[in-house]
Amino acid sequence: MSDLFDLPFEEDEEESTIDSRQSIAAPSQSSPRIGETPQQRARLPTASEGGSTVSPHSPGSPQTPVDSGYPTAGGRLQTDDRRRLTPDDRLTTDDRRPTARVLSVTELNVRIRDLLETEFFEVWVEGELSNCRIWNTGHLYFTLKDTGAQMRGVIFRSALRYLKFKPGDGLRVIARGRVSVFEPKGEYQLVCEHMEPHGLGALQLAFDQLKKRLQAEGLFDAGRKRQLPALPRKIGIVTSLDGAAIRDIIKVLSRRYAKAHLVIRPTRVQGEGAALEIARAVRAIARLSGVDVVIVGRGGGSLEDLWAFNEEVVARAIAGSPVPIISAVGHESDVTIADFVADVRAPTPSAAAEIVVARQDEFRARIDRLADRLTAAARGRIHSLSRAVHVLGGRPALAGFPGRLAMRGRHAAELTHALARIARASLAVRHRQLQQLRRQLETLDLGRRLEGIRTRLVTADGRLTAATTRALHRSDARFRSCANRLDTLSPLAVLGRGYAVCWTADRTHIVRASTDVKAGDTVQVTLSSGELSCEVRSKT
Amino acid sequence: MDTSIKDFEAAIAELESVVKKLEEGDLPLEQSLALYERGVQLSRFCHARLEEAEHRIEVLTDRGELKPAPAALAADIGRGDRDRS
Repeated sequence: MSDLFDLPFEEDEEESTIDSRQSIAAPSQSSPRIGETPQQRARLPTASEGGSTVSPHSPGSPQTPVDSGYPTAGGRLQTDDRRRLTPDDRLTTDDRRPTARVLSVTELNVRIRDLLETEFFEVWVEGELSNCRIWNTGHLYFTLKDTGAQMRGVIFRSALRYLKFKPGDGLRVIARGRVSVFEPKGEYQLVCEHMEPHGLGALQLAFDQLKKRLQAEGLFDAGRKRQLPALPRKIGIVTSLDGAAIRDIIKVLSRRYAKAHLVIRPTRVQGEGAALEIARAVRAIARLSGVDVVIVGRGGGSLEDLWAFNEEVVARAIAGSPVPIISAVGHESDVTIADFVADVRAPTPSAAAEIVVARQDEFRARIDRLADRLTAAARGRIHSLSRAVHVLGGRPALAGFPGRLAMRGRHAAELTHALARIARASLAVRHRQLQQLRRQLETLDLGRRLEGIRTRLVTADGRLTAATTRALHRSDARFRSCANRLDTLSPLAVLGRGYAVCWTADRTHIVRASTDVKAGDTVQVTLSSGELSCEVRSKT
Repeated sequence: MDTSIKDFEAAIAELESVVKKLEEGDLPLEQSLALYERGVQLSRFCHARLEEAEHRIEVLTDRGELKPAPAALAADIGRGDRDRS
């Protein structure tokens, strides 16, 4: 009679209780101990007699309790039936009778489950957490690993609640739990009931060490950070073509109607060798003509997924880039070494795009303000000059000097004319610009934000036109009054007393003698008010 | 585009100095208007640079060649407009 759950099992249980820190690794798939129950009397094909025998566990070796304690599948089954755990475990089969029954997968899995769940009812295991994910159900799924092996695990919400710390990737922990098997998939996992952190994970340690070293070199100094270009000609992007990062960037630029010329240098962003690829890509794209800013990043992921951005090659490539670099790795809470070295750290790839757009908006506003000031200054200048014309025309001291006043008057007229000509030309230019801008705006229909600009331009233009027109009218009026005053002082004023002046038809000569004209000629007669066109009928 | 304007940043800098001169200086009319025209030209250049930029996506290959972006990515351009409505 054989009881397969024999001595080693009990010893195992004892050990678990005595030394709860004892690491117990999962059994290797190749050699699970076969648990036989009364319900399953099947025997394994026995390939060789005299397989493994029971041996005491050596506490220092995690593999020992399983591998050395039980026969291998092909080995002779343990026959020591002195120890029994539970009635179920008692076997009544005569194991000396060789049988060759082949197990179904289901049967084997059931037996493995029974074995593992009974065997590892309570174990303590130490390892590093990775791939931590909390599902909607509130259960945390993770991978527990050391340098040589890994296993899956879960900690249910009910147990997770009682943990004093937040389990996260890279954390070294000691977990207590039981091993359970999911038969349909032939998978086992650690169902964890309690967990304690054990120092920091290796990745975290590597991160801290590199950070300290680069910081000491001055690579994170604020003085090294470069200004982003006002308006990038080409934006270089180093990321994966199928990742979320590039889509997010494009989406933001589209949503904000920002125009940009993107040049993507595709690269793997996770896995073995990714860091080297990223570093090479950064160097390649920064050398490309026209690229004056580079975004380096990827979407969110586990600590391992983001790890490439914590490697020294990437940090060095960023530090050595001839153009400013924006880092955009993972989510807001993910901070990588790349973020420390980059000229600007964007919390996410979307945020990196927002930064580029925001700078464009900033410059747009600055140009609008300057254009407003420009118009105001030009208007002010025209005002003050037209005032000068007015003062000149109205100066009483000049009234006694008709000749000089005439000179001044001409000067004023010339000035007014020049003012009008230049202002009109400049208005025409402005008008053409406005028309063109309007056409562009209408064609592109750039939406609300641009309508703001259009309104501002139209308003500014309208104000400029109105102000200039007013100024011109005023100048014109002043000139007219000036000319009127010249008229009153001129010799022609005698016409008011009833004299008339007779001109030749072409108005080039004054007719002073009847011999100057022939009968039939037309002459022009200037009166105090109006002119007459007269025909000479006869001469006397 | 006016070739006497070097680039966007130079244009903004010059526009700033033009405005400052116009605001401060008691300049002759001709010069004021010339400055004004230059200012208009500069602000127009800046606006044009901001608005007329091309939305374009290219991919730099391993061999250093520039190729248009895959259609799947290019299709995302303008999607934002629809998202908005």
